[in-house]
Amino acid sequence: MPLAEWSLYADRPILEIVLALAAGGAGLSRHLVADTGAGSRRDVFELILDEDDCLQCGGIPIHEVRLSGAYRGSFPVYLVDVRIPALSFDDSVPVVGVSSVPRGSDGIACFNFLRRFNYGNFGNPDGFGLDPLPQG
Amino acid sequence: MIASVPASNRELAERINAEARRDPHSPYAGKFVGIANGHVVAVADSWREVSRRLRQVEPDPGKCCCIEASADYDAVHEVWSVP
Repeated sequence: MPLAEWSLYADRPILEIVLALAAGGAGLSRHLVADTGAGSRRDVFELILDEDDCLQCGGIPIHEVRLSGAYRGSFPVYLVDVRIPALSFDDSVPVVGVSSVPRGSDGIACFNFLRRFNYGNFGNPDGFGLDPLPQG
Repeated sequence: MIASVPASNRELAERINAEARRDPHSPYAGKFVGIANGHVVAVADSWREVSRRLRQVEPDPGKCCCIEASADYDAVHEVWSVP
């Protein structure tokens, strides 16, 4: 069993992150579709979130990025502080800000984020989990 | 005319990105760079360090920007999933 595990939501793999708020406090909980088809290892971003969330969390502007496929055009990228408490994960992560996110979720955890962890169903066909990678 | 802080930050970031991509011996090559109010305030090995330093120097994120100096921001990135 992984350290962090979530039930499928709307039949899709979902994970939960916490965004640090610019004003301080407990942070914003956000549920993201775990999608290895979103982006590649070489991408300059790891998550896709509503741009309002990026701004509310004091995201620092990085650059614009050009997307194709499900999103088309230029979109801003922000540096946002992201936590997954169950994994003691706490890092600053480059996030694309968009105006619409997948229905039933708050955004997308892209391949470049998922590859930081062991990810999958860990033997539970109705769940999705993350485990830390072995230290190397 | 005096450029706005975001425009000055962006112009400096573009120059650093171009330099680092052109010259692998640039001090910015392979680094993460933080800019506040038109000046470089952090050259680090991680986004975490850049974020920490920028928030110390300038609490208003609108007056900051940062860049992965050697990254190709002109590339088109494909998102296969359907929102």
